[in-house]
Amino acid sequence: MKRRRFLKIVLAFLASITLLSFVYSLLKFLVALPARTAETKKLIIRKNEIPSGDAKDIIFRNTPAVIINRPDKGFIALSRVCTHLGCLVEYNPVKQRLICPCHAGNFDLEGNVLAGPPPKPLTVIPLRIDGENIVIG
Amino acid sequence: MWTKIKTWLDVRIGLDDIIQTKIIDYRIPKNINIFYTLGFLAVIAYAVQALTGIILLIYYIPHPDHAFRSVQDIMTKVPYGWLFRQMHVVGSNLMITVAVLHMITVFLMGNYKRPRELTWLGGGLSLLLTITFGFSGYLLPWTQLSYWATTVVTSMPTAFPLIGEPIAQVLRGGDHVTEITLSRFFALHVAILPPLFLAFMGIHLFLINRIGISATPFGIADEEKRPLTEYKRKIHADGYPYYPVFFQKQMYMMMAYLAVMFFIITFLPNLFFPEEANIPADPFKTPAQIRPAWYLLAPYQLLKLIPNKFFGITIQAVLVALFLVWPFVDTYREKNVLKRPVLRGVFIFLLVMWVVLLFWGRNS
Repeated sequence: MKRRRFLKIVLAFLASITLLSFVYSLLKFLVALPARTAETKKLIIRKNEIPSGDAKDIIFRNTPAVIINRPDKGFIALSRVCTHLGCLVEYNPVKQRLICPCHAGNFDLEGNVLAGPPPKPLTVIPLRIDGENIVIG
Repeated sequence: MWTKIKTWLDVRIGLDDIIQTKIIDYRIPKNINIFYTLGFLAVIAYAVQALTGIILLIYYIPHPDHAFRSVQDIMTKVPYGWLFRQMHVVGSNLMITVAVLHMITVFLMGNYKRPRELTWLGGGLSLLLTITFGFSGYLLPWTQLSYWATTVVTSMPTAFPLIGEPIAQVLRGGDHVTEITLSRFFALHVAILPPLFLAFMGIHLFLINRIGISATPFGIADEEKRPLTEYKRKIHADGYPYYPVFFQKQMYMMMAYLAVMFFIITFLPNLFFPEEANIPADPFKTPAQIRPAWYLLAPYQLLKLIPNKFFGITIQAVLVALFLVWPFVDTYREKNVLKRPVLRGVFIFLLVMWVVLLFWGRNS
């Protein structure tokens, strides 16, 4: 191998190592997130705080959510984050729907899409009734 | 005094030679029109943004607990803080307007055609960076408007399977818009975008100088007639000198730009400040009337109308990509858009659609 070619290969190798190391570090730097505040493992709310047909907004595991007391079907907890582009849906007691103010996505009280651009239903958060309490999570 | 300074500079850096060769001997085509000044105007607009942005940095605090308050203090307590912020906000909207008008007029005059494909690409990327400037600056006041507009825009990549979610996570620094997002957007707005923009602008200006100003707005220029086999700079030997003919046009336009800016600041101070822009961000309450800035209203409305998120965002990404590479797609030699009915029709259709979507998005 000629000296000139050898030097070119060494230069390319060193440049590749430098570039690769920098890009790798940069990607890790961007993706790594600072530690967040402790997430709520379980949330307890008293049943009588939410009359039939009413709803209560909560924060569960750093995500805005809503508990709805459906007149016939009882309590359900849904994420309020619209599956379209992340705005927060609002419970509309008159229409019995959850409506996104950004792009007019409409969901029924099970979280299913009724109208608008959202691609999938709202996330259902598991809950159980324990006596007079609603235990979420 | 002035003569002494001039002589001092001349013997050291050849000032007279620079003035003679770069300004007086620099010729511009005789049929040049006022629209040719829009590129210069975009540079002036950027300079105004850079200056007022640096001034605002003195009092702005990029933290969710303080950002809104610090901006309110700039507006109400710091002497003339309101003026510099208004100049920055109004200027950002005017800058995008000027850049869009520049691209439209270049398109209509066919000046993107060979050998200026790279000049168009550089300008197009600069326009995208300008919009990114506007979008990243939108979050900084930490208002309801800025918070939710950023939530929507940073959720857009999630339309793409596999890569979408990681991209959104990197943009926001987590699942939601938080203080990490504010830090990132602040860094983007004041440290990452300015040098990038200057680099693109530098390439754009270098190419304009290297290739020469396009000769004729309409018809087939001699560059289009000859086979493109070797580099040749376009020189307008029979044209007007840059100074004072074109320089005067540029100064008129610069003063018109500043007059429009100060007219808006004085008589329409709330034009770019809807109600939500004066309410601190609440991450748990999306306002009922959330709308992005006017230049994003058309894509925003299109997203509302197209039921499939992936399709809605993909169609817009394809349109942007097509806009950037248009000179490589349109290799037809005729520059005169009046002699190209199909292109003219498509352009008018897209322009009308954009205006309709803009007003629809504003009023829906």
